[in-house]
Parts: sequence; C-alpha cells; structure tokens
Amino acid sequence: MSTTRDDVLRALSFRNISAIYIFVVMFVIFSLWIPQKFLQVGVWRSLLDAEALTGLAALAALIPLIAGSLNLAIGAQVGFAAIVSAWLLGKAGLPILVQLPAVVLSGALIGLVTGLVITRLRVEPIIATLGISSILLAGMAWVSGSQQILGLGDEYKLIATTQFGGVTIPVYVLLAVALLSWYVLERTPVGRRAYAAGYNPEAARLAGVHVERLRIWTLVAGGAIAALAGALLTSRINAGDPTVGPSFLLPALTAVFLGSTQFRGGRFNVWGTIVAMYVLAVGIKGLQLAGSPRWVNDLFYGVALVLAVALSQWEVTSRRASAIGRLVDRVLPRKR
Amino acid sequence: MSRGVPSAGPPRPPLLRVSGIVKSFPDLVALDDVSLDVHAGEIVAVVGHNGSGKSTLVKILSGAYTADAGTVELEPGTGLHIIHQDLALIGELSAAENLMLVTAGGAGSFAPVHTRDERDRARELAERFGEAFDIDAPVRDLTPAQRAIVAISRALDGWTGTSNVLVLDESTESLHRTEVDVLFEAVRRLAADGAGVVFVSHRLDEVLGLADRVVVLRDGRKVADEPAAGIDHGRLVELITGSAAAAQRERMSATVADAEPVLEVRGLRGGTVEHLDLALRPGEIVGVAGVLGSGREAVPALLYGAVPSTADRFEVAGRAYARPAPAESLRRGVAFVPGDRARLGAVRELVARENVTLPQLRTLTGWLGGISRRRERAEVAGLMRDHDVRPQRPEQGFGLFSGGNQQKIVMARSLRDGPGILLLDEPTQGVDIGAKVAIYDRIEDAAAEGAAVLVSSSDAKELLRLCHRVVVMRHGRAAATLAGSDLTEPRLVAEGYGLDAPDSPNRSGKPSGPAAPSHELEEQP
Repeated sequence: MSTTRDDVLRALSFRNISAIYIFVVMFVIFSLWIPQKFLQVGVWRSLLDAEALTGLAALAALIPLIAGSLNLAIGAQVGFAAIVSAWLLGKAGLPILVQLPAVVLSGALIGLVTGLVITRLRVEPIIATLGISSILLAGMAWVSGSQQILGLGDEYKLIATTQFGGVTIPVYVLLAVALLSWYVLERTPVGRRAYAAGYNPEAARLAGVHVERLRIWTLVAGGAIAALAGALLTSRINAGDPTVGPSFLLPALTAVFLGSTQFRGGRFNVWGTIVAMYVLAVGIKGLQLAGSPRWVNDLFYGVALVLAVALSQWEVTSRRASAIGRLVDRVLPRKR
Repeated sequence: MSRGVPSAGPPRPPLLRVSGIVKSFPDLVALDDVSLDVHAGEIVAVVGHNGSGKSTLVKILSGAYTADAGTVELEPGTGLHIIHQDLALIGELSAAENLMLVTAGGAGSFAPVHTRDERDRARELAERFGEAFDIDAPVRDLTPAQRAIVAISRALDGWTGTSNVLVLDESTESLHRTEVDVLFEAVRRLAADGAGVVFVSHRLDEVLGLADRVVVLRDGRKVADEPAAGIDHGRLVELITGSAAAAQRERMSATVADAEPVLEVRGLRGGTVEHLDLALRPGEIVGVAGVLGSGREAVPALLYGAVPSTADRFEVAGRAYARPAPAESLRRGVAFVPGDRARLGAVRELVARENVTLPQLRTLTGWLGGISRRRERAEVAGLMRDHDVRPQRPEQGFGLFSGGNQQKIVMARSLRDGPGILLLDEPTQGVDIGAKVAIYDRIEDAAAEGAAVLVSSSDAKELLRLCHRVVVMRHGRAAATLAGSDLTEPRLVAEGYGLDAPDSPNRSGKPSGPAAPSHELEEQP
C-alpha cells in the first residue's frame, strides 16, 4: 500500500482533525441559522482578539500538563495576575515597563511554588493546584477588596487594544508564545524530555531525565504565560476585575484536551490546542449571537470537555475512514 | 495433522478443535491455516517466536479477534477458560476477595457477602493445587506462582460443565524456576482431572517438561505438532527458528587481563542487598545469580542509581561516585537495561526513534538548540538495522513492537553511546529465542569493544553462555564467585540455594529464603 495514500488518509481522518470537521459543521449551521449576524467580519475579528487570552491560558495549562501536571489553578492564576497588574498600576503607581515584568515574574513565582508543592511535598498535581487555586482566589479578594480596581490610565489600555493589520496585539502575543512553545516542546531536547516525563516518569528518570526539575520548570513557564494573559486581560477591560479570571479554566482545559486529539495522534500539542480553542470559541459565539442565555457557555464547555476526553480515549479498531478512503483513492490511486 | 490422544481406548472427539484458522492484518498474515486439537487430559504446548502468531491465536480463542477463515469448535458442554499473562487480579484485594469477584455477580450483587463461606471455598480451591498460602493476604504480597494459582482457581470456580479447556497464555513469564514447578504441578493436577490444557510459552525447557504434545508456530504457520517425548531442546530451537540452531559460541575461556577495574564498589547496600564488594574490568562479562529475593535482582539498579543505595566506597573509572543517580550515571558512561521492560524500559507512548535518543539528545542538536530530525532519523534507522529490530520503523510507537523487538530497541539505546559500563537486569526475559541470540551477540560485542558488562539473571543457561565469572548472591550477600571449570549449572543452583547436596524435597509456599526445591538439582544432566 502506498505510503502517500496512507499518510493523506490519516491526515484527513476524523480522528486526526475532528476539530476542523466540527468547525465546518458549526459554520454551516450558524451560517444558515443566523447569516446576518454570524457572517460579519467584525464578529470574526473580535473573536480572534477576545479569545487570544483564552489561547494564552490554554498554553499555560498545556505546558505543565505535557510533563504530567494537570493544573486546575490556571483560571485563578490568570485572575490573580489581572488583579496584581491593576494594583501595581493603579494603587502602587508603577510605570508599565516595571509593572509588566513584575506581573510575569509573580506568575512564574506562583508556578515555582506549585512545582515545589508537587515535587517536594509530594502532593498530587490535581490536589496541589486545587489548593493553590483557592489560595489565589483568597488573595485576589484580599488585594482587590472584591471590587474592580479602576483608574489605570489611558496608556495601559492601549496594549490590548492597539491594532496592527486589523488584529490587536494580544493575537500577536499568542502567536509568538505559541511559536516559542511549539519550538521548545517539539524541537528541542527539553520538550522531548517533558513528553517522556509526562507519559512515564519512572522510565524517563532511568533514561536520565530530571523529571522533578522539568515539572517545576514547566509550571514556572505556565505560570508566567498565565500571568501574561492576566496582564493583558486587565489592559483589555481597562480594570482589575476579580471575577473574570477563574472563568478561563474550563475553556483552557477543554481546548488542551480536545487539542490532544488533533494532529499528533493523542499527544498534547500546541497547534491542536490553539485550533481547538478557536473552534470552541466559534461555537460559543454562534450560540450567543443566536440569542442563547449565558449559562449555555458553561453547558457547552462542560459537554465539550467530557466529549474531548472521551474522544482522546477512542481507539481505532478498524478502518473507519473508509468513506474518505474511497475519496482519496480517486485522487491518489493505489500503487499495486 | 496428528491426533495424538494420550489415553488408550476408543478415540473420543477433542474438547477443543481449532481448524484452518486464517487471520490477516493490513501488513501481515498473522495466522495461516492453523489447526489444533486438544483432548481431555492432554497438555498441549504452543511455542514460537514473538510474532509467530501465538498471541493472535490466543486472542481468537478468547474472542478478542475474529478469524478471517476457519472455526473454533468446543465439544458441547465444554467450558473454555483463558488466563492471560497479566492474570487480571486486583493486587490490593485478598485471594478470597479476588475469587469472589467472579461469583458475586448478577442479581446477588447487593446481597451481603458471607465472608466465612467465601474463605472456606477459597481455601478449598487453593488446596486443590497442593499449595498453602494465606488467602487473606493481599494478592500482591503472594509469590508470582501463587498469584497464578489464584487466577487459575478463579477460572476453575466458574467451571460448570464436566469438561473444560484451560488456556494459559505466557503464564510463566515472570516466574522463577522454582515457582514454575509449583504452577506446573497445579496444571498437571488439572489435566489428570480430565481438563484439556493449552500452554503458550517462550520457555522451551519448561515446555518439554510439561507438555504431552508440542505445537510449533513459525511466521503464522504450524510447522510441527508432535508428542513432546520425541523432541529435544535442540530440535525445538530448530523448529522455532527454522534453521539449525546456531552452535553455541565457545565461551571465552581466557581470563580478562588484569586491567584496572572500571567500576569498583565496596560494601554496597540497598534494597535486598546487604553487603556487596564488586569490581568490573573492561571487556569482562560478570554475572549475578541467586534466587528471587537474594539481592540478585537489585544489583544493577543499585549500581546505576535507579534505587537509593549506600556504599563504603564506590568508584567509576577511577573517580569516586558518591550518590549514584541515573542522569549522572549516564554522564559517566554507565548504561542500564531494566528488567521490567513494560514499565521501566522505555516510554510506550513515544515512538521508537524518540525512545532511542532520549538519554542523549545533545549530540543531535544544532541551530537554536533544536534537534535535527534528519540526523536523528538517520541515526535511529541505522541503529535499528544494526540491532535487527523488526519492523524497522523508527516512527512506530514503542508499545506496538513485540517483546523481543522492544528489548532490542532498549539495547540499541543503551549501546548507542558506547558505554564503558553496561548493567543488565534480565536482558532476555520474555524474549523469543531469535531475539535472545541477537541480544547475546550485542552483549558480547560490547564487551569485546571494551565495555565492562554486568548481567543479573535468573536464567542459569544465560549466565553460563555469557559470563566470564558469576557472583552468586544469597541473603543479600555474595555467597560465591564461580569462574572457569567451577562455572556449571549445578554449581550455580547449589550455591544459590546454599545446598551442598540434594536433600529431601521441601516446598513450602513461602517465597523467603532458601527453603528450596532440591529436585532442581536432580533434574540436571
């Protein structure tokens, strides 16, 4: 059997790019249902802008997860960074050039603490991050007094709203972070070792991987990215809002898990995560435009998360792609 | 097809009749017209390489696969029971509870559990095999042989009809010799009671000792179906490999020149090892023998730093090595092949290429610290060719290779950087005879190129074949070091058990210590 044909088949199979198929289906449905609202350039542009922050949160969850730490504190980390950046700017009055690095550094520090709790105190990542999440929520309420922090000045707002080529800066930030993450994870020894450590820590250790050190560093990197998302969030809404951050958790994790079923045959990966995140966002946007109530968001992400994980467990037992196979046969005839 | 019915009298139809099974996968024909009869009271061994079709046959019997052609017929009223390699026991539950899992089903699921009845029943079942053990202890604390017996008992518990066929799939894989005997005794009792037994195994000597009839599969075809009595070890190897067995290499009798040791340890302690002095010289292959729990199995892992250890003095290549740890050991040119291949040998989810290069990626990095895919692919393809890994697909998931080929990949990885010290734990456990020979060749090549090799093994023949000298462990200490004309199988076994002469058979179920089956000695040629 020709390898090219096999490769094309595998590349086009539902199993490999289910998110793309889901996107096509949703696109068709919403285009027929609410064409005058859904098919607007403005809608798509704002989708791209608004969801860039979700994308950053998803990457922040993805990196530690590859090395074996499921981070349930991602939402709280984004929210905490949003409050800290507003406080540093509005209350402490730091200039942006100092404030922004400080926020990212504080996020990295939170990642470091999480990593130490997991590796040194030997607390399971799920429990450790659940605890950290609660602590951060408390911290947010304390710093902000459960109020929006306002009066950040006009400059800061420009970071998230300035446009280049029709899209805002956060989209470029997401692209840059995604490119860097992709390169490190897929092309460097560190990334290779992170995957090994996540799949089988003991075997990885015997192969010379410093599993604990890697876990800590992935959490530090994830923490810094989450903080960046938080800083951009505050810039975007031009206020430190203690309620927005935590809602990033579900979309981020759903994107990571749905993303793992894309492109790389079950591996968590950067581009799968980004594509899955935007596909999910299109679904939400379509439902909102069609006039569905707000709680549909939670319903949508809950269902999507469960389905995404179920999909990632789905084993191919036979040649399910036969319909596509016939189609490909016409394009790329079998060599016999 | 021969119809070897062991018992006299009018020929009775077989309990299990497998005829003309064909099963193919996209890339290969796994079984090609394979037939097999199993009669009451008969033990049929099915042997063959990894990839010969054994496991496919078992999967067809269990219903996991559907055959493309051919039939599996059971004599009416006959039950078919399959015990897989992993036994499917729950380690945290006791033997009695594991047995109960099957019977407590259906409508009675919420009925109160009658612990005493259950335990009586469990004890009764276990006693049928002449093996006494604590039925209340968690199964994971039992010996592997006892666990196998629990699994068989559980299958037995479900026996309803009068006639039964039991399929044991590689059930002796993890067992020590002495435990194999315990299990075999159990299997013989079952056959004597009229059950038909199909025994699938890699271990040839065992097969000849147990089976009435031997069926050999090679490349999906049945190449032999003969009474075991007419087959000896050499002929069996020939049938399995399809060629005359390669003449055993003349063991290098020349002692290694008195080179400076490249690894030297005094007073090594950790795990089951209480005190060990050891020196390894370049070009030398040193064996470590001993019964399970003697410390034998811990030595390579301790030296590599896989498990915490302490030592009065530990030097590698003349430099003190205070706290051994895997990453540091690799840096010092120490490579380790763990015994538990499935769990520790490699990362199943990664592909072969990624596993081979995982310990050393720096040699492949280039611009911006990225791994050069092209160089990596080329290097791994070359290594897979050198080590005869089949299929030679660097991009195939590690878990999808057969056991023997997985081990070849692990060996290729360990030898990739030309280690100065090679530590091997059961290097050929669960590996077919063809892969075994290939792995032995690699080990000998490595030694010839100047590596100091340590082999810990429960397989005496393996140690005899490979080693210049063998350290025999007992109670965590070196009981003897055998070399030259002293290095014989009887001596290995005798030193391992601390026996000078055969005494009365004494088989308690207790895994601890040297209370031992002296009949192993009697079996020696």
